[in-house]
Amino acid sequence: MIRVQSLSVDYRTNEGYVAALKGLSLDIPKKEVTAIVGESGSGKSTLLYSVLRLLPPGTKVKGSIIAEASDVLAMNYEKLNRFRWNRCALILQGAMSSFTPVLSIGNQIAETIIHHRGLSSREALLKTSELLERVGLPAAFVSRYPHELSGGQKQRAAIAMAISCDPDFLLADEPTTALDVITQAEITVLLAELVAEKGMGLCMVTHDLPLALSLCHNLAVMKEGEIVEAGRPEIILEKPRHPHTVELVESIRKLEEGSIAK
Amino acid sequence: MNTPVMSLQNVVVSFFSHGKRVEALRGISLDVASGECLALIGESGSGKTTALRAGLALLPLSGGRAALFGEDLRQVSKGRRVELRRRCGYIPQDPFGCLPPTVTALETVAEPALLQSSRNGKREVFEKSMALLAECGLGEKRIVESKVSTSLSGGQRQRVSIARALAADPALILADEPTSMQDASNRGKILEILLKRVNRGAAMVLTTHDLYLAAAAANLGIVLYHGHIVERGPTKALLAEGLHPYTRALAQALPRLGKKAARPPVAEKTEDFGPLACPFAPRCPERFERCRQAPPLVNLSPGRDAACWRS
Amino acid sequence: MTLLRRWSIWALLAVTLLGTLGPGIFTGDPEAQVAAPFSRPAWTPGGGSPPLTAFLTTEKPAALVSWKWEPPPNVTISGFLRYAGQLERAEILWSTPGGKTFVLASSKDSDTLRVDIDGRDMSFKRSLGLSPFDDAAKVLFPEKGTYTIAARPTDGIKEARVTLDIPGKKWGLLGTDQRGRDVFHLFLLGIRVSLLVGITATLLAAVIGLGVGLSAGYAGGLFDALVMRVVDILLSIPTLPILMVLAGLWGKGLWQLVFILGIFSWMGTARTVRALTLSLRETCYVENLRSLGAPTFYILRRHLLPEAFPLLMANVALGVPAAILAEAGLSFLGLSDPRIISWGRMLQEAHGFGAFSTGAWWLILPPGIGIALICLIFLDIGRTLEEMSDPRLKKEMAR
Repeated sequence: MIRVQSLSVDYRTNEGYVAALKGLSLDIPKKEVTAIVGESGSGKSTLLYSVLRLLPPGTKVKGSIIAEASDVLAMNYEKLNRFRWNRCALILQGAMSSFTPVLSIGNQIAETIIHHRGLSSREALLKTSELLERVGLPAAFVSRYPHELSGGQKQRAAIAMAISCDPDFLLADEPTTALDVITQAEITVLLAELVAEKGMGLCMVTHDLPLALSLCHNLAVMKEGEIVEAGRPEIILEKPRHPHTVELVESIRKLEEGSIAK
Repeated sequence: MNTPVMSLQNVVVSFFSHGKRVEALRGISLDVASGECLALIGESGSGKTTALRAGLALLPLSGGRAALFGEDLRQVSKGRRVELRRRCGYIPQDPFGCLPPTVTALETVAEPALLQSSRNGKREVFEKSMALLAECGLGEKRIVESKVSTSLSGGQRQRVSIARALAADPALILADEPTSMQDASNRGKILEILLKRVNRGAAMVLTTHDLYLAAAAANLGIVLYHGHIVERGPTKALLAEGLHPYTRALAQALPRLGKKAARPPVAEKTEDFGPLACPFAPRCPERFERCRQAPPLVNLSPGRDAACWRS
Repeated sequence: MTLLRRWSIWALLAVTLLGTLGPGIFTGDPEAQVAAPFSRPAWTPGGGSPPLTAFLTTEKPAALVSWKWEPPPNVTISGFLRYAGQLERAEILWSTPGGKTFVLASSKDSDTLRVDIDGRDMSFKRSLGLSPFDDAAKVLFPEKGTYTIAARPTDGIKEARVTLDIPGKKWGLLGTDQRGRDVFHLFLLGIRVSLLVGITATLLAAVIGLGVGLSAGYAGGLFDALVMRVVDILLSIPTLPILMVLAGLWGKGLWQLVFILGIFSWMGTARTVRALTLSLRETCYVENLRSLGAPTFYILRRHLLPEAFPLLMANVALGVPAAILAEAGLSFLGLSDPRIISWGRMLQEAHGFGAFSTGAWWLILPPGIGIALICLIFLDIGRTLEEMSDPRLKKEMAR
């Protein structure tokens, strides 16, 4: 399990330091889906990037992130490199950024595998084809370039790349936001299946509360750098306590029941 | 006399992109009257944005007729076209390119009104714009006076864009995914602002991929898929019991409070059905041989049309 | 503002101040000779003496000259001696520390001895018994020590006013050039010319480039194509030869230079502005404005111009070094107004008058380094402005 304890992150901007996270604590267990719901600017992406220490230089970070008995924030570079992708992988928002346009996706995924697992290139390519099929893409896509894939296909490929080293944890930053409704549903189902199959711990960040609720085992609601409510989704849905959560649930309910003044 | 405010008749839009012919709209017909709100429902690539732009004659038609306030846009003079367009408020889909970056929010909202006629006292225009911005939740001095490009988030920009479209009291509002960048708690408020105008007599066409939003905003909905209308009917009915497999798939795929994630009812995209087939056939779970021939849009019950052989 | 944090903007401020106020600390005409030609800067070790003057006056008809250096480049003696009565012979003597005595000037059967000697005079050399190729000053100052200049006889002098003038071999901060002018003074004056020419020419080019770029980019079609072909043609012309021809045709004045430089540097800006305009023309808001019936000029002035402005400023800042170097180049080739002191001119004179062979580095390095430094300053400013105007770098942390 990944345990975040009293994490504070301050970004450096032209106007001084801006607090993105204010001493928050969170547990991300394995074999379950943990969803973090927050509006834009709440700091949810910052939280994900902190776990892998992907914050820009000059950022002030306090607190600890314990994964397998060591603090990610205090790891030396070697250990951090082994932690990244092998133990914990990331799916970015907007899969276009995950791939470089000049190499085929098979090439890029295989490169990851070769670097982290040390397989030969033939074995890596074989594994890549398997991975692509697992995420629902035909194996022939190994030789395709990113610009030849649609948004949904790129996202699937990004998921394939993320699970290529069989990580224990998967972090997903708004994995379905840029996709069409039906593709969104398919990707969500795929992620749920992967979690069940491989026993990974998925931490998914989104602004879409119903989406989070449909998938997660643990829910955390963030506002302005703090977790305002956390717990099991059914309980939160039934009895939201923090006014922010209440407002969120209410406005969605209103929309769904069509009770906007007409 | 109820001339529809905006009317598309059998509109076909096709163009060349990357050397291939793309058919964005294939024979679309729709009407909106004043005081009415129509929802165009579809995913990206369905042609909903193209339909809005065709309605404003912002792109050339390859076939069919587009009319605003009863006047065919291709046949009027350029000056008349500009006049007709000035009575419409267009909210584009992408708030990042659609606002001038070097002017402040207030000036952005006031600009269309200022351009229209120098009769309007400048002060009144600015006061009205301030009021609009406040209504959209952007009344803070800091926001009003900040340059759009540097300090506003995507959601705020979208709201400035909405205020700009509403500033001239348009008779027709064309809103292309107006809540896409908004947080969940703001969506309802945006809809309220827009629907207030509809209640006062404006006509509105709203595009979205969210059937729930469509049902909350409009009475009538049209479902588009790859440039075809696949179903038309009351939005509540589309949501609850769609006649077309795509409508049903859309309704099921949308996350809903309290519903667990389930595989949406679409099939594997395996067979190529040929260019004359039903556009949804490659992914339709209920496809069969007859689907090689595109089904026409037929009226199945009062106020409900669908284009599917199975219905 | 990020710009204020860069060293270059402060350096530019310092240089401008130096250029405007600096020459004020000198009282004389920059063209005047202050010391011997090719004098070294005063702070360099070794070398010759600073300028020295010795006087013979009515009260003191003898003077001591304490000499601690190498022989001076020259010596001049001027003035007169008037005696009470007619003398058979009056002389001005010069004694070296070693005991040798030279007769610098003499008169016969007169009460007045007028003297106007320059050490390079042939007659003077002959009177000392030297060949025309000998260096009189070297002979007169063979060693370090105390020399004496005296009138003979010393009594009976009614009026005496003789000046022994030794132009120094060392002067000031940056020595002197081939005409004996203070190089530091010239250097400071050169700042003005460089900055003036650089900035004015580039501004002229910017205005032309902006106008052409905006109109071509916005109009599109045939007009755009024609304009761009003209730009291509102008770009393919090698600049320096054309500048030379035009300088020859139109004269060598400063404003002609600015004009010529401006006319030949607007093309780059035009291209960049046109590219920007083309991309902006297709944006949603411009389309929206056009569909609302906004007049073209309104769109250009109110929206496209402010957006092009940061890019323009960056181009201006980056274009100034080119203009300065072009001016320096033309001056170096002798195609600029010789009455105007610019760094390029200084380099040209240094080259032409043999500074390189005499090793007079103080004539070469200051203008050279000055040009390089100003170019660096503007390059840094331009780069900063470019970074600031690039929207990609603007708000990464907006989320």
